[in-house]
Amino acid sequence: MTGESRSRKVVIVPCSGIGKTYGSVSREAAYVVTEDLRPAQTQLVALSMLVLGDETVRACVAANPAVTIDGCKLACATKMVLESGGQVAQDFAVLDVYRRYKQFKPQGIAELNEGGLRLAQALAEEIAALVDQITPLPLGEVKGVKDG
Amino acid sequence: MPEFLETTVDKFTFKVATDRFYNAEGVWAKTEGERIRIGLSDFLQQRSGDVAFTEVKPDGTQVAFGDEIAIIETIKVNISLSSPATGKVVEINPIMEAAPEAINQDPYESGWLAVLEASEWEADRARLLDAQTYFAKMRAEAAEQVGKR
Repeated sequence: MTGESRSRKVVIVPCSGIGKTYGSVSREAAYVVTEDLRPAQTQLVALSMLVLGDETVRACVAANPAVTIDGCKLACATKMVLESGGQVAQDFAVLDVYRRYKQFKPQGIAELNEGGLRLAQALAEEIAALVDQITPLPLGEVKGVKDG
Repeated sequence: MPEFLETTVDKFTFKVATDRFYNAEGVWAKTEGERIRIGLSDFLQQRSGDVAFTEVKPDGTQVAFGDEIAIIETIKVNISLSSPATGKVVEINPIMEAAPEAINQDPYESGWLAVLEASEWEADRARLLDAQTYFAKMRAEAAEQVGKR
């Protein structure tokens, strides 16, 4: 493994859809990845900062692989990363993830229900596995895993 | 390919296929010999949102006009759809299990729901709306909903 691969972080860009259940799931999943599961390997990026054209954030996105989480088919997160010169390693659509976890029906907006939180956790674990592929850790380094 | 009536309300464009009938909620019924293929109108699918899951009554189920024929869960709502015909379910769209988004992508063709062997079609058809009538109803509903926003 090269020093370059260790120094790079994966930027996680969730949907900014306020007032939408699937947008809330996307943001909750992003928080779980960046704060609990893979804090050392990931960097949360607020979509609104990309929309506003923040130079620091655009540079970060342009220099690192991105994982986007879209709450609807408009796919704003993915589009904004591409427009900012970034590369999308993988885009996740919350609806597609929900189809794989039918038992976790998301509801609520400001506060997700249990199903929404568990769906976010499941999505976060999929993203964490992807992050490990993109930025492998040195042998013996233990990753934080949150019980779900 | 069917021909369509089309209208744009605000930023939304809705199509109504002219080769079939519709119930008031927007479930279409298309005759194919003795059988009736059913599905959702473009307006109904757009209004309901992206489909997550569908649950259609299984093969062999007898339904009467107006009975529940399917439940659709979308990102917005769960909706119960009523049958536009009396008869027996003889076929369910096999792609619904893996790709229910076909309802959103192609509501009048590959996104069909089920096929019924109709037993009272002449009577049922008289209770449905033709494409022109449904188009007018749909357009009024769309304009009203846009006005509420």
